Amino acid sequence: MKSFRTTSDKCLLGAFVVCIALTLLLILVPVLHAMHLSLYRSESFVSVSTWVGLANYAYVLAEPGFWRAFGIGITFALLTIVLQVVLGIACALLLDQPFWGRPVIRGLAILPYLLPTVVVAVAFQWLLDGSLGLLTIWSEQIGIGRPAWFENPVLAMAVVVIASVWTWTPFVTISFLAALQTVPKSLYEAAHVDCAGAWARFWHITIPMLKPMLVVIILLRSIWMFNKFDIIWLLTKGGPLAATEHLPIMAYRRAFAQYDVGGGSAIATLSFAVLSLLIVVYFRFYPLEEKEPR
Amino acid sequence: MKKSITARTAVLVAAAVLGLWSFFPIYWMIVSSLRPERELFGKPELIPQRIDWNFTSYRNLLELTDYPLQFANSVCVALSVVVITLFVSVIIAYVVTRYRIPGKTAMIGSMLYAYMFPPLLLAIPLLSIFAKLGMADHLIAVVLAHCTLSIPLGVWMLWGFFKAMPFDLEEAAMVDGCSRAGAFVRVVLPLSMPGIITVSIFSFLLSWTDYVFSFILINSDANKTLPVGLASLLGSFDARWGELMAGATLITLPLFILFMFLSKYFIKGLTAGAIKG
Repeated sequence: MKSFRTTSDKCLLGAFVVCIALTLLLILVPVLHAMHLSLYRSESFVSVSTWVGLANYAYVLAEPGFWRAFGIGITFALLTIVLQVVLGIACALLLDQPFWGRPVIRGLAILPYLLPTVVVAVAFQWLLDGSLGLLTIWSEQIGIGRPAWFENPVLAMAVVVIASVWTWTPFVTISFLAALQTVPKSLYEAAHVDCAGAWARFWHITIPMLKPMLVVIILLRSIWMFNKFDIIWLLTKGGPLAATEHLPIMAYRRAFAQYDVGGGSAIATLSFAVLSLLIVVYFRFYPLEEKEPR
Repeated sequence: MKKSITARTAVLVAAAVLGLWSFFPIYWMIVSSLRPERELFGKPELIPQRIDWNFTSYRNLLELTDYPLQFANSVCVALSVVVITLFVSVIIAYVVTRYRIPGKTAMIGSMLYAYMFPPLLLAIPLLSIFAKLGMADHLIAVVLAHCTLSIPLGVWMLWGFFKAMPFDLEEAAMVDGCSRAGAFVRVVLPLSMPGIITVSIFSFLLSWTDYVFSFILINSDANKTLPVGLASLLGSFDARWGELMAGATLITLPLFILFMFLSKYFIKGLTAGAIKG
């Protein structure tokens, strides 16, 4: 093999070694550093730190606040994932039907997904502003008064869930719509001959055919929704009374507002661990070697 | 299969609802940025009766805040991220598919794994590292932070792309006297343009829309990127909704323009399942 390597081969391989080394450095160093930080107690990122071993983990895990935040994270993730998947599939089936103006509606249906999270948060805060927001004014007009969107714990959770579903459902819609095109039409025709109704066709053809794809979508959504920080932070800052504070927000507060870098990193590392579990499941369902470029 | 009129009407109504649901918050944002400031306090009109042709909200935003500077910051950061990502991921993906590299599945696997990391959990250790290096509050730190997500994304997408490209084409070029590098530049790169465009779009999108990394890494107003700048406007002067909506519209505009011209690539990247959100 060696004798076939030309100068340009060597250049390319050299560049490859440099690039891969830098990339792995860029990826691995933060992860390892987070674990390292979690073993020390320090008040800020530049102050002197003392080795405390696993003490940060011990007290973080012993705190009721941690488990509460964990539960809130799961509630948020479950609600958003179920709604995204159900609505996404419904929208995909709808956009698969022929109707007048379909290209326009397809384009509009993707738009929320392109928006930066900040824009989503600002747009929703404007719709829900306590005195000027359109939805606040409307609910006053239909006689249910001015809802305290961001002061009521249940409403605040509902707001972050709906804002998240609004932005991230198009991901499911588009993926599912693309997958729908791969189901052979002959299956539907055969089912039609057998007098299967629309629901039976969906339940006995579409879903089984697209099950692997669906598993991947649900896993990806879970991985990302479980650790979503920005949408919640920008809308509620984890409030009211920590009703929307999940692990990432708790980690942030620990590290930056309560001057406990070790505790924050311990929470971050624990989230990494939970996440890695999900990613391992993802690789089981979607092994790299079989990945077909689509 | 001929559908009944009721079925077709139902589909149309559902489609209209979907369009309205998706577009209304965006419409309301744009409309509110164009109405005269005073009228935002009045009765909301779904179709505005008066448009502020002086664009007071936009003027205030551009003349009285750091918005133009932050816009420039965001453009610089996003373009640097795109360039670095393309360079690094093209080389890695190409070499991994064309040479026998020990442990390459593990490399690609770790890329995909890294791509799924939540930004906040990366940002905490990154801030600690950059603070020790004296690089916190620099745009370079933000560029590097964005690269931790965009390079894995690029490698993963281009890997699939190069794998699908038949090796025969390059072989033919090499038989005809091209060097490996020549075949790469003359044959592989032009043929992989769609993949390269898709990666550029998504690394731009990732950098342009990112809030978390710059929120954690950047302190001073002058170094903030747009999303963080806009978020701090939300906190600092209350109820300047006209300016806020103008700022939100201006962040979104480049994305909508990109989408209009390159929607094909957007859909391709989305359906490759390779985009984060």
